[in-house]
Amino acid sequence: MIERTRLLQALRLKGRARVDDLAAATGLTADEVAPLLDSLVAEGRAEEARDRFKLTPDGRDELAALLAAERGTVDQDALAAGYHEFDEHNSALKELMTRWQLKDGTTPNDHSDQAYDDAVVADLADLDARFRPLLGRFVALCERLAPYPQRFDRALALVRGGDHSWFAKPLADSYHTVWFELHEDLIGLAGLTRAEEAAAGRAL
Amino acid sequence: MSAATVAGVQPATVPLTGRTEHTREQVGGKAWSIQHMLALGIPVPPAFVLTTGVCDAYHRSGEVPPEVDAGIAAEMSRLEQEVGRTFGHGPHPLLVSVRSGAATSMPGMMDTVLNLGMDDAVEQALAAETGDSSYAADTRRRFVEQFEKIVGTTPPADPWEQLRLAVRAVLESWYSKRAVSYRAARGIPDTGGTAVTVQAMVFGNIDDRSGTGVLFTRDPLTGDPAPFGEWLPRGQGEDVVSGRFDALLLEELAAAQPEAHAELMGAAETLERAGRDVQDIEFTVQSGRLWLLQSRSAKRTPQAAVRTAVLLAEEGVITPAEALDRITPAALDTLLHPRLSPSAVAASPAVASGKPACPGIATGIVVTDADEAEDLADEGRDVILARPTTDPDDVAGMSVSVAVVTELGGATSHAAVVCRELAVPCVVGVGTGTVTALAGQVVTVDAAAGTVHLGRLPVDPALTADDPVLATLAQWLRAEPGAADAPTVVEMLEARIGRAVR
Repeated sequence: MIERTRLLQALRLKGRARVDDLAAATGLTADEVAPLLDSLVAEGRAEEARDRFKLTPDGRDELAALLAAERGTVDQDALAAGYHEFDEHNSALKELMTRWQLKDGTTPNDHSDQAYDDAVVADLADLDARFRPLLGRFVALCERLAPYPQRFDRALALVRGGDHSWFAKPLADSYHTVWFELHEDLIGLAGLTRAEEAAAGRAL
Repeated sequence: MSAATVAGVQPATVPLTGRTEHTREQVGGKAWSIQHMLALGIPVPPAFVLTTGVCDAYHRSGEVPPEVDAGIAAEMSRLEQEVGRTFGHGPHPLLVSVRSGAATSMPGMMDTVLNLGMDDAVEQALAAETGDSSYAADTRRRFVEQFEKIVGTTPPADPWEQLRLAVRAVLESWYSKRAVSYRAARGIPDTGGTAVTVQAMVFGNIDDRSGTGVLFTRDPLTGDPAPFGEWLPRGQGEDVVSGRFDALLLEELAAAQPEAHAELMGAAETLERAGRDVQDIEFTVQSGRLWLLQSRSAKRTPQAAVRTAVLLAEEGVITPAEALDRITPAALDTLLHPRLSPSAVAASPAVASGKPACPGIATGIVVTDADEAEDLADEGRDVILARPTTDPDDVAGMSVSVAVVTELGGATSHAAVVCRELAVPCVVGVGTGTVTALAGQVVTVDAAAGTVHLGRLPVDPALTADDPVLATLAQWLRAEPGAADAPTVVEMLEARIGRAVR
């Protein structure tokens, strides 16, 4: 059942997703995801168009119900405390992302300066290490989040291995994409909305 | 000189003519510029000044010096003759403006009172003369409001008493709290005093040979070196500037009143040469006679700033070094990227603006839902995704959009990060409800400027390195002593500023 929730949520967060992306996001192999997807399509919860899958309105409804039920099982006080700590890491990550993309806040980083890029990657690894204990607490609070550590592992390993597209590339499981999705999960688990969080200056 | 004197030092009430050479310290900035325009042969509504000496005498004795009344009476009579109108009664009543004027302008000083000289009879005469009783009533209403606000009392019925009170209010304002603290903060001595400038009002709504307009000596949007302006027959005051009325092009004035038009063109050229910069001129034609009300350096787009500076130097009005002084690296840099046509922006100003997150210009239909964005993009439509803020499930929609706009968020927001990766033009933080409300409409996003405009706006291409303007600037920059040979003209200009700072 938890895999079904993970898959529905991955479909929602990724919009129109390929099987490989869904596998990465749910911690399964492509072969494991395929039959799950087939049954979602058969039940009218998802639909396929040009090798990409998306939720149907029925799928969205089921996901909303599953997440609402899940929220009732989570220790909200512990989650709120964790989310409060997350905010600080989130600010640090956003600043790193901006440094990765822009030098001096305005000049696009053309990635010709190896030393500059290496320093940002090193800072990302530091941030990741500082953040891991908190991530562990989130997984302990909600088992559905269990694939996140390995998703961060993979993105960070690829970046450190020199494939810099895994730093912030959208529509792939880059470090930024994984972080963005985790943030969305935390907002939902806490019963908040992104618009409220943005208005409060946190989820910008 | 027949003017009365204060303590035998300087005349109390002095006329402004093309031959007077009063200093700024004597007559204040406003009168000084009127005198300057008159000296250039520019037709300016007649005016006179109570010098700063009057202010000094007033604050020493607590009274306006007795000879001032006679001086005012004599000068008012000159004003009446010059414009063919009479103060305080019809059939052609004279109204005046009263302004403060210190050697340097400062806050806290009394502002302008316009249309002074109104009473019941004058209002009726003005209504009869203009054939517009609502104009006359409106002018009076505005005068009463302004007088009450600035002088601090309801205007008395007698126009001469109105004038005396307004003069006294100007003199008093020299020691207003704000003016005193402004001077104290800047070390400006209290001894300078303010002058009082009294000037005849002219009317653009008297008859069919009257009107009001504005003129730029060059196009302030493009820098095109031809005068550009608007003309509103039977218009008065702020009618053109306010944009409430549809003004005509200046060519209409040329056709209707060729002499006034020719005189205006001559005056514009004179003022531009004397001011050594593009001028923004306000003028009125009263029964076929041209009057210039104001001339100042024109505000302009970066494009016009660069082009004008180069052309003025090529025409010998300013030196190449001055031209370079007037061009900021930022202004020049905007020309090196595609940009919205300035005239199109003037016709469709920004309906929303926020922070630029990823530069670029794009036109498309506003969509507020990422799914819908993907559907429309699949159909080959250009879509602009507008969201309060972006969720992870918006990313696929963002990737197929030609631009993204968010209402909340800053330059480090998720939307900004994602758009920079996707190289999709993006503006963030335009304000709640501003762009999502435009769903279904075609808009153009200028993500370098951070603006959103209704409709499809044409784009001017970037200047190429062989553009004559850039080539000329590069040549001037290289010719300067100590010039650094930077790879681009913008960098050379930046290096030049660096040298000036050191």
